[in-house]
Amino acid sequence: MLRLTINGDTHELDVDGDTPLLWVLRDHLSLTGTKFSCGIGVCGSCTVLIDGKPSRSCVLAANQAAGKKIVTIEGISTTDSHPVQVAWEEHQVPQCGYCQSGQILSAIALLNSNPAPTDEDINNALSGILCRCGTYPRVRSAIMSAAAYMLEEGSES
Amino acid sequence: MKKFNPDRRKFLKLGLGLAGGSLILGINWSCSADPDSGSRGNSKDFSPNAWLRLDKMQGVTVIVAESEMGQGPFTLLPMMLADELEVGWKQVKVERAPATPVYGYQLTGGSGSIRKGWSTLREAGAVTKELLLTAGSIHLGVPKADCTATGGWIIHQPTGERVSYGELIDIAATLPIPHIAHLKEPDEFKIIGTPVPRLDTSDKISGRAKYGIDIRLPDMLYATITHCPVFGGKLKGFDATASKAIKGIVDVFSINEGVVVVAKDTWTAFKARQVLKIEWDFSDQELLSDESIIEHIKSVDSGKGKVIQNSGEDIGALSQTRTLESSYILPFQAHVAMEPMNCTARYKGNKLEVWAPTQSPTQAYNTAKDNTRNIAARTLDKIKSKVFGSHDENVEINTTFLGGGFGRRLQQDYVAEVVQIAKKTGKPVQLTWTRDEDVQHDFYHPFSIHELSGKIDARGMPIGWRQIVKGLGISTGNSGRIPYEIPNKLIKAVNIEGPIPTGPWRSVGHHYYTFATEHFLDELARAGSQDPLELRLKLLGSSPRLRNVIEVVADKGNWKDYLTGHRLLGVAARSSFGSHVAQIAEIELIDREYKIRKITCVLDCGLVINPDIAKAQMEGSIVFGLTAALKSKITLKQGRVEQSNFHDYPILTMRDTPEIEVFLVNSQEQPEGIGEPGVPTVAPAVANALLNATGSPVRSLPMAMSISSGQT
Repeated sequence: MLRLTINGDTHELDVDGDTPLLWVLRDHLSLTGTKFSCGIGVCGSCTVLIDGKPSRSCVLAANQAAGKKIVTIEGISTTDSHPVQVAWEEHQVPQCGYCQSGQILSAIALLNSNPAPTDEDINNALSGILCRCGTYPRVRSAIMSAAAYMLEEGSES
Repeated sequence: MKKFNPDRRKFLKLGLGLAGGSLILGINWSCSADPDSGSRGNSKDFSPNAWLRLDKMQGVTVIVAESEMGQGPFTLLPMMLADELEVGWKQVKVERAPATPVYGYQLTGGSGSIRKGWSTLREAGAVTKELLLTAGSIHLGVPKADCTATGGWIIHQPTGERVSYGELIDIAATLPIPHIAHLKEPDEFKIIGTPVPRLDTSDKISGRAKYGIDIRLPDMLYATITHCPVFGGKLKGFDATASKAIKGIVDVFSINEGVVVVAKDTWTAFKARQVLKIEWDFSDQELLSDESIIEHIKSVDSGKGKVIQNSGEDIGALSQTRTLESSYILPFQAHVAMEPMNCTARYKGNKLEVWAPTQSPTQAYNTAKDNTRNIAARTLDKIKSKVFGSHDENVEINTTFLGGGFGRRLQQDYVAEVVQIAKKTGKPVQLTWTRDEDVQHDFYHPFSIHELSGKIDARGMPIGWRQIVKGLGISTGNSGRIPYEIPNKLIKAVNIEGPIPTGPWRSVGHHYYTFATEHFLDELARAGSQDPLELRLKLLGSSPRLRNVIEVVADKGNWKDYLTGHRLLGVAARSSFGSHVAQIAEIELIDREYKIRKITCVLDCGLVINPDIAKAQMEGSIVFGLTAALKSKITLKQGRVEQSNFHDYPILTMRDTPEIEVFLVNSQEQPEGIGEPGVPTVAPAVANALLNATGSPVRSLPMAMSISSGQT
C-alpha cells in the first residue's frame, strides 16, 4: 500500500511504489493538472513541490515521496488567489497553457526561497521548464510582479 | 453605424426552452433554412458554425468552432460578437463547438481564425442586438427609435427606463429575424481593439484546463504504441512474453500503424513497451540519411520545377553586372508540442465517441468514421456522402484544449490509431505516445536546398535574381514569391516525393523561403555596398504596408546605430497570412561567440482585435523562430530520425530568450492573421546581424553559436 499526502489530503493506493509520482497523480488520482511531456526529467512540465522543493514527478518514484508534503497545481489555492496566479493572470502568461503548472510551481518554489530574485536567479530556476509557445518573457515579468505582491503580503502579516 | 441587410438565411432562432430557457441563435455560413420559421426551426434544418446563447442571468456564451492551442480564438472570436451585441466582457463565456456538420468544415490553420470570424461573428452580435432592441421597445412600450443597447441593457433614452437582455429572452424568441441590422464603425468599438483578458487564462493557471491527455472516463484503459523506427518499414512480428509478464498489462496487439500495449495505467504501458521484442522489415529504407537525401536532391533536374515567379530576362544574359552566388540548406524540423500526441475513444454499442486534441475536428471525424468501416463499407460511404451528403450520428468527436499545435495536429494519425485500439479493447481507452515516438513520427517541416544567383549593376542595385529551390515536402506556391521589385527574376521550386512524412509547420513555406530571400538580399546589399534596410525600401515601391513596417522597425530598433557601427543589427521583413512583419535582431559578440540581445518586431495585422494577444503571438513566434534558427534540427541516419527527446532536440529556454519588444501598427484595414506571421523573419534577421558582424553568410540552419571558423 502506498500512502501519499497530496495537497493536504492523505491517499492510500494499491500501486507499485516504483511508479513515477506523475502517473500516480494523473492515472490513479485524476489530478491531471500535472503534465506528462518528456518522461525523462528534462522539460519540467511535470513539476510538483515535495516539501516545498520543485521536483520532476515523471522521474520520481512515488514511494520516494511517501511521508512528504506533495503540492500540485490543484493545491496552491482554491480561488486562483496565490500571488503567483494573480501575477500570471495580470500578465496573461499562458498561451496553450500545457507547461504552465510546471512554470507556476517552479516560480512559487523560487519565490519561497528567494523573495527578491534577480534575472539570473530566474534563469537558474526556470530555464529547465520548457515552453514551446514561448511565454518566457511573460513568465519572467510575472515572477517579478509576484515577488512584489508576496513582499507586500509578508509585510502586512 | 453601418446599416446592413442580414442574409436571413444565415440567422435562425432556435427559440426558447433549449438549455433552460436560453435564447439560442444559430449563426451559419452555408444554410438553406427558411428564415421565417423562426422559433419553429429545427436544428437539423440548417448548418450553423457558431452559436450564441443568452441566458436569463445575463450570461452570454459564444460557442467557437476553432481550436484553441494558445493562439487565442477562444477570446478573439467572442470579442467580435460581444462588441456588436453590446454586452460587457465580464458577461462573456466560451464553449467549444461539437464536430457536427452544422458548424461547417472545422479546421484551424493558416492563421485564419480571425479572418474567418470577422464578419460572421460581428453580424451575429449585431443581428441579436437588433432583435433585443425590438423586444425591449415592446417590453417598455416605447418606440424602438428611442431605445439604445449598452452593457447588456436596452435603455429608453428619454426616461432612462431600462430592461436587461436576460429579461427580454421570452419576447425576443417570438420575433422574426430583423431585415436590417447595424454594424459598428471602428471608432464605436468598445471591446475590439482593447487588451481584455483571455477567457481561458484562469483554467490554465489552476490545472483545470482539460487537454486531450487529461480525459478520464470510467473503466478507462491506457495504451501506448511503437511505430516502425524506419520510415517505410513494415511489421514482421513481435514477442510480447516479457511485456505480458508485467503486472497490470491488459493486452498487446498490432494495428496498421504499429504494436500497441494496453494497460491499467500509462506507466505500465510504457514499461511493457520497453521490453517488447519487435521484428521489423526495413526493406531498403535503411540506407536513407541526410547525406543520401542531399545527394538525391542534387541529382534531381531542376528543369522539372514549378515556376513560382518569372519576369524580365534570363539573368545569365545580363551584361555590365557583377554576379553573386549562394546556397542555403534548411533542415527537417519537428513540432514538439508540449502535449505529446494522444487521443481517447470509447465504443458504446455502435456509437463511437472520440476526445481529440485536434486542429481539425472535421478531419478527425472523417478519420474516425473511416476506421470504423471495412473497405467495402468505406467505399459505399464515400459514394453516399457524395450523392446525399451524410453525417453518421454514431461517430462523435469532442475537441479538447490543445497543448500546442503548430500544424502537427492538422494530422489525424492518432485518431486512426485510437479508434482501432478501442475496437479491439472494447473498453474506453486513452492512447498516449511517448516523447520519442512523438519526435520520431512527426510530419516534419520540409528539408530544402536553395541555390541563388544575383546580379548587381554598377550602382550596386540588384537587377537579377535566380532562385532554384529543391526539397522534400516543400511548397511550390505563393510563399516562394519575393516581394522585391527586381526587374529580372526567376524562382523555381521542385518538390521531391520522399519517404519522410512532411506537413505544415508554423508559417509553412514562408519559413524556409523567407530565410533564403532575406539573407540573400543582405548578401547582395553587402556586395553592392548598400544599407540593407534602405535597399529593401527602394525595392518595395509598390508594397506600402511592408515598407511601412520596415520604416517603423528602423526607428524602434535603432537602425541608425547600424550605420554608425554602434550596434550589430540585422533586419528582415515579410508579408504572410495577410499581415506584414519587420524585425531587427541585435547581437553581441563575446570572444568567439555571439549572443542575441534583442529582437524588435513591428506587426501590421490590419485592425488589431486584441493588442495583448497580438503581442503575445509575436513573442511566441520569435521564440519559436529562434529555436529553429539556433537550436533544433531533425537528422536521419539508417532510415530513422536520430533525435528522440528534448535533450537532443533542444528548444529555446528562458535563459536563451532575448529581450523582445513588439510594436503594432495602428490600422483600420481588414484584420489578418497573427499566429504565424512573426516566425519567418526571425532566423534571417539573426543571420543578417551575423553577416554584418563577421562578413560571412550563414549557409544552413541551425546557425552555429560559435563564429571561430569565420563562417557560421
